[in-house]
Amino acid sequence: MRLDKKARFIKTIDEHKKIIYKIVNAYCSNKEDRKDLEQEILIQLWNSFDNYNSKYKYSTWMYRIALNVAISFYRKETKRFAKNDLYNEASIFKIEEDANDKETVLNYHLKILQDFIQNLNELNKALMLLYLEEKSYEEIAQVLGITKTNVATKISRIKIKLKKEFKKL
Amino acid sequence: MESAELKKILAAYDTLINEKLSLNVASLSSINLDKSAKSTQSMLVYRVIEIVIFSLLAIFMGNYIATNWSETHLAISGIIVNFFILIALSGAIGQVVILQQIDYKEPIVVIRKKIEKVNTHGLLFLKLMFLSMPIWWSYVVVAGDYLFNIDVYKGMDADFVLKYLMINSLLVVPLVWFLNKLSYKNLHITWVKKTIQLFTSSKTMKALEFLNTIEEFEK
Repeated sequence: MRLDKKARFIKTIDEHKKIIYKIVNAYCSNKEDRKDLEQEILIQLWNSFDNYNSKYKYSTWMYRIALNVAISFYRKETKRFAKNDLYNEASIFKIEEDANDKETVLNYHLKILQDFIQNLNELNKALMLLYLEEKSYEEIAQVLGITKTNVATKISRIKIKLKKEFKKL
Repeated sequence: MESAELKKILAAYDTLINEKLSLNVASLSSINLDKSAKSTQSMLVYRVIEIVIFSLLAIFMGNYIATNWSETHLAISGIIVNFFILIALSGAIGQVVILQQIDYKEPIVVIRKKIEKVNTHGLLFLKLMFLSMPIWWSYVVVAGDYLFNIDVYKGMDADFVLKYLMINSLLVVPLVWFLNKLSYKNLHITWVKKTIQLFTSSKTMKALEFLNTIEEFEK
């Protein structure tokens, strides 16, 4: 039964791995912190797996939990997660490195966008990640716990700042 | 940034991730998922320890009051000290209740407010410390009697005691005003910020600043 649950869990994580990847990269600037945050998010998702509320899309539900964990992690004064089990030093993600990766204008713009998100405060980071995931304003408002109007206003302000960043180029 | 342009960048990012990102299933399978990752776990432990300590102190003071009931000044001093112990105890119990309510499935702002309120626990002790100032003598009377078997009150002139109590009671109103000011809403006031920084930890200060940030975010 437990093996079955774990298999389903792994399958779900695989289907939505981009969510964890994006959150971990937005909230952590170094590799060790990213690994620690990945683990904390996974453990929290596992603990909540049986209580998934089908009222929400799984991705929205996952964002809610993962963002809460990420913000808690980000705000911890000492970041190293106390690991009792030392076997797992590897990240759960594998990224193919491509020596032929071109420095395209698109990649450069992507780097600016990523740096911009990195420099936002914890709450605005969450807002932007949800917006960039093309979540509706209503979904974003539900995940964050603010009004839809507030979401729209904030996104508008952040986009103005983002436009200024791109204008600097 | 035009939406179309942003969408183009994101579409490119998504394509990149889809092509290059894969899950390290072996690594994921070997994670101990039953481990509790709640960062609030250690806070819960500390608060439970506080509840135990304050409960024992409250029981001790109750016993002290009962034992010294015939000595009015000792009983009154004991009641005052116990009053503050009970406030501290109820604060710790309140924090445990909040910690038990923390569920990462809830909206982010709701959870953050709860966690940061727990992190501002140090401010409660600061306020209790200042609130104790007009009645600090009750601690001296109880400590003097219990630890050194010295009745400090008996050695005092009754007239002096009355004047002293009257002067101390004048402190109450300005003190209440002062304690009301010590809030995250007043961190923009220099003396408030400096007072809190001086007497509490950086963790408490960070939590208060973040409560401000959350309030701004909700507007």
